[in-house]
Amino acid sequence: MLQDSPLPRKAYIWQQRQTYGRRLFGVFPAQYPREILWAMNVLPVEIWDPPLEVSCVGAHLQPYICSVVRLGLELILQGECDDLDGLLFPHTCDSIQNLASIVHDYVGLKKPSYFFYHPKAPYRDSSREYYLEQLRGLVSRLERQLGPLDPSELKLRVNQGQKVATVLEELYALHARGELCASNTEFYKVLRHGEYLHPDDFLPLLEGFMARSRGLASSGPAVILSGVLPNPPEILTLLDRLGVRVADDDLLSCSRRLLAPSSSAEDPFEALVERYFAMPPCTTKDSSVSERLDYLLQKVERSGARGVVFYLVKFCEPELFDVPQLTEEFRKRGLAALVIDSEVNQGLSGQLVTRAEAFVEMIS
Amino acid sequence: MSLFKNLRYRFMKELGAPALMGVSRAAKRRSRRRPNPNFGPPLKCTGRLKEIMGRHYFLSHYAKGAKPVAWVTSGAPVELLRAFDFYTFYPENHGALCGAQKLGPELCAAAEERGYHQDLCSYARIDLGTFFSGRSPVGKLPKPDLLFASNNICQTVVYWYRALVHYWKVPLIVFDTPYNFEEMTDTEVSYMVRQLEEMIPVLEQVSRRRFNHRRFQDIVRLALDASLTWGEVLTTMRARPSPMTIFDAFGHLAPIVSLRGLPVAWDYYRILLDELKERVEGGVGAIKNERKRLMWDNIAIWYKMRDLSNLFAEHGMNFVTATYTNAWAETAAYLDEARPFESMAKAYSLVILNNSLNHRLRLMERLVGEYEVDGLVIHSARSCKPYSVGQYDLKRLLMERLGVPSVVIEADITDFRAYSEEQVRTRLEAFFEAVEG
Repeated sequence: MLQDSPLPRKAYIWQQRQTYGRRLFGVFPAQYPREILWAMNVLPVEIWDPPLEVSCVGAHLQPYICSVVRLGLELILQGECDDLDGLLFPHTCDSIQNLASIVHDYVGLKKPSYFFYHPKAPYRDSSREYYLEQLRGLVSRLERQLGPLDPSELKLRVNQGQKVATVLEELYALHARGELCASNTEFYKVLRHGEYLHPDDFLPLLEGFMARSRGLASSGPAVILSGVLPNPPEILTLLDRLGVRVADDDLLSCSRRLLAPSSSAEDPFEALVERYFAMPPCTTKDSSVSERLDYLLQKVERSGARGVVFYLVKFCEPELFDVPQLTEEFRKRGLAALVIDSEVNQGLSGQLVTRAEAFVEMIS
Repeated sequence: MSLFKNLRYRFMKELGAPALMGVSRAAKRRSRRRPNPNFGPPLKCTGRLKEIMGRHYFLSHYAKGAKPVAWVTSGAPVELLRAFDFYTFYPENHGALCGAQKLGPELCAAAEERGYHQDLCSYARIDLGTFFSGRSPVGKLPKPDLLFASNNICQTVVYWYRALVHYWKVPLIVFDTPYNFEEMTDTEVSYMVRQLEEMIPVLEQVSRRRFNHRRFQDIVRLALDASLTWGEVLTTMRARPSPMTIFDAFGHLAPIVSLRGLPVAWDYYRILLDELKERVEGGVGAIKNERKRLMWDNIAIWYKMRDLSNLFAEHGMNFVTATYTNAWAETAAYLDEARPFESMAKAYSLVILNNSLNHRLRLMERLVGEYEVDGLVIHSARSCKPYSVGQYDLKRLLMERLGVPSVVIEADITDFRAYSEEQVRTRLEAFFEAVEG
């Protein structure tokens, strides 16, 4: 069990294969039933922002495709996924949808590729039934490669997934109330370990972090971070330096998919369905703007945040479309909003730093 | 719905619109352009097309209050709305019209001023820009009672329509069509059928009309007939010389997109088909010296239609097929009035952009063979991710498998700020050389 700082990602995932015989799956963003993979002894290793120099992807993708998609494909083209046992592509956006097709058919990667479609809002009765069928369909496709799913193992992993979500919920609540003595950088570093750690390791890591970090946070102004992922991570260090606390987030890679409420359903598939439909609103699920606005305002109220930073990945259509309406509504309510769009792993330009500093001055 | 507005709408439809079209025709006759010597005689039907679409937009000014009004995405199953007598407005069609009139940047800028990023789809920016500025070449747009979108063409339309919900404060119905990464399953068909059934009470409430299954079946039949006839129209382009160019077809596409399920669309395509058959029999080509035959991939570059049309005709090259125009004929045969819901689920979910790239590759290979294509022009459109992501691989594979030379034009559908004249010219010059072999 890992207590403090886990092994680096690469070393960890190979250790998982050697020690526990776990299969390794590369998983593209964002929403997918992790519990099913865990139950089938698969370690999902999420591909959000691999730190790579781009050299091959230009032969396949145009420059106006977002850097999450471009870097994900670059990772595959550079042979970094050659030892994986499979790839999973949740249906997140048009670009990931077509990326799945490119990887499956055109880059010569001889790996099983799975596609997972989740129904889009506004939800109806048919959406629930369809999602349940999708979960069962995914299991039956995985079983062809991995052997039968043990129902008791699925139940165990669903419960474990709920436990992870409960601890995260507690962590977020402490953070929002200013009762977590951890920098923005530390908080998100711990959270992002969940992108590749097995829950047997992630859960104690979270619990250890929470036990160690209870205490009063710095007294600076609080903000909410909204967008896809906390990258470039320089925004977190900048806000730390300026004494600003990211009291809560509305990030696709973090709270939007990690804070699914618990379900009391006995059947693990039913529990997964309930949890999916109770997840926070999200652009990639086509949640309405009003639902997102209400959700963000709740976060603002709970944390006492004075502003929202929209930290967007360049060319990300799902996020970019909602921003004008959300910022307009925030401004009507006297809340400050800062919109930054940037390529992942590209750092913050001097101009962006200046804008962020001006924003902090405004809310201080 | 108001009786007065209903009567006014009917009056305008029967008398106002024809009178206006007559005036417009007379004005056009006075300002007729000098014919381009590289082209054959123009299609007689083009005038009729302009009348039909002009009338459709003209009536939009009188629709509100007379009929329920819906704004609809180009791939949505509009037959269901027709059963409730909705007046349907297509923002994508309006976007194309604005693009063709070179209004794209101006209207996009109106949306950008309100925070909509320049990287977003320019159809969406034009539409939002029209909302914010009130400017449009067709006058004031009809306020919707309902927004109706399907993600079978892209997820973008749903993001865009979510924004429209925020501004118009009207209900949105989404037809969610799971992407066909592999073969479509019964589960997916059932999901889509259920959705169509779930829409009926909402449509009844918005339109204040009862659903009539028999009427719905008749509309499905009309949509099938119009789509099949559109398919036959495109098939005439297999002839050498082709009786029309794909730039003509981009224009003649409007009724099948915007008026599908109405008698006028089917009537129009029968007239167009007769004219094209006549041209084929008489050996009348769209361009005078058709030496090479080309295929177009992706939506048109609306602001460059005339320039590109002239440029290719000068080189004796004619576009005889396009994946885009084919999209409204490709799955039509699935429509079946006897099983309207199930057949619509298939017809709408199996469209080109809701399928894997291998599906598109097979389609392109088939079109290359059937239309005897010598080269391919790929429009890499910033606005359209599902159409553009994967094009580089398709280009490579078509060259490897069929030896078809191709060129990629990096541009946009309506926003000409993303178009580099110099770069396109350089690429096309190299392409012309490759095609000439």
